[in-house]
Amino acid sequence: MSNVGDWNEAAAELNAIVASFDEGEVSVDDLFVKLERATAIIEALESRLDATRAKVEELAPRLARVAEDQ
Amino acid sequence: MDEQAKSEGAEILEVGEFYQLLTAQLEAAYGRRFPRWIRGEVAKVYEKSHLYVDLVDAGSSPGDAKRPVLNAHCWATQWNVLKRRLAGEGVSLKPGAVVNVFGYVDLYAPQGRIGFTVTEIDVSGLIGDVARRRAELIARLQAEGLLEANKRRPLSPVPLRVGLVASPQTEGYNDFTGQLLRSGFGFDIVLVTTTVQGEGAPPQIVRAIEALDVAEVDVICVVRGGGSKGDLACFDDERVARSIAVAHTPVFTGIGHTGDESVADLVAHTRAITPTKLGEELVSLVSLWRERNVRLPAQRLANATEALLDEATEYVAERRRTMIFAVRDRLRAEQRHLVSLRQRLLIQGGFVLESAARMLASTRQLLGAYDPHRRLAQGWSIATTREGTIVRSIGDVQLGDSVRVRVSDGSFESTVTEKNGVPS
Repeated sequence: MSNVGDWNEAAAELNAIVASFDEGEVSVDDLFVKLERATAIIEALESRLDATRAKVEELAPRLARVAEDQ
Repeated sequence: MDEQAKSEGAEILEVGEFYQLLTAQLEAAYGRRFPRWIRGEVAKVYEKSHLYVDLVDAGSSPGDAKRPVLNAHCWATQWNVLKRRLAGEGVSLKPGAVVNVFGYVDLYAPQGRIGFTVTEIDVSGLIGDVARRRAELIARLQAEGLLEANKRRPLSPVPLRVGLVASPQTEGYNDFTGQLLRSGFGFDIVLVTTTVQGEGAPPQIVRAIEALDVAEVDVICVVRGGGSKGDLACFDDERVARSIAVAHTPVFTGIGHTGDESVADLVAHTRAITPTKLGEELVSLVSLWRERNVRLPAQRLANATEALLDEATEYVAERRRTMIFAVRDRLRAEQRHLVSLRQRLLIQGGFVLESAARMLASTRQLLGAYDPHRRLAQGWSIATTREGTIVRSIGDVQLGDSVRVRVSDGSFESTVTEKNGVPS
């Protein structure tokens, strides 16, 4: 998996790629490169989300016990 | 007088008979069937199962050898009843106390003494005196600013380390500690055992408060279950009130039943109406802190985490959709562009071919105009020298030269016999 930096850096790069598409700045030659990069970033972000969600779900019951204990 | 002084012939009573007569007379006037109220100041008091109390006129001087004394007594059966009632009112018979006693006269012949059997004691005067002394104490404490002093002590937001002034194994102690133990919170109880009633209680309570005040506890709780006013009298003691007022640690009280309010309650930081309520108050404080600082933040954290994850998930999904559509749109746009170019090329190519065809036809037509066969057919001829060079000028040939002349249907040989120039 490509190095995409931390979440904010990755999101910023992804946003920039999407913006370049929105503004029609992407040439056909660049299209695949940018799509490949965007895909790598999205996969990296999803992977991090999955890992984070798994950790959160592990902690959530403990937090819920504290939050729900009257 | 002399005759009268002689006992001869007179009725002579034996001592016992005299006492019988006297007793009968007294009983007829002041006996059991004719009880009355007597007011007196307690001069001496002695209790040994029965109560023995010497009453004198209120305000009379002890040095007055002639002041009347009433030797009153209350038999144990009745005294036990009265004693409980007195204790309940928080009063006791002490020298100097002025009381109204109800009873009757009796004569104790063996000692030749007239006594007074007490069947009832009215202590309203004493109660009024207690109330007056209590009011005076409260006024003094107020004037010194001591009623509010302990209330100004800052209270730990989580008062888990509890100094306890109480008598273990009493109902009040169990009620209070039961609340703390059942709460599930980690209360750390530092107990200083004291008696909580009687004359010895105030000094013990004061020492306990002073000891706990330097024991780094969060709060000092003075606990005592319900009882009579007399049982609770130690909490109206000035020494106890002052020790609470000047303590650096907040002092909470849970003394007696609902409705009992001691001076200790008045000077305390916080007063609960019973030991149980005091325990509930402490648990409530910790619960409130936990609610504010643990449970609600945990709830907010859980909600925020869920929201953040949902937001991040939605963000990534949205970016994924956007990328898919953007790429597809971009490819479609390029495809449309290529199609457009192709169509333009096709259209333009047709024009070019058509133009070329037209140009070719024109050229062909033009060339046709210059076709030698056509010219020959029109009667033109082409002369060439022997070497095959086209004769374009009279200078190209000499007289006598042989030239070939081509016409539409063949050629013939000819000899140059004359040359004539065309006048310009």
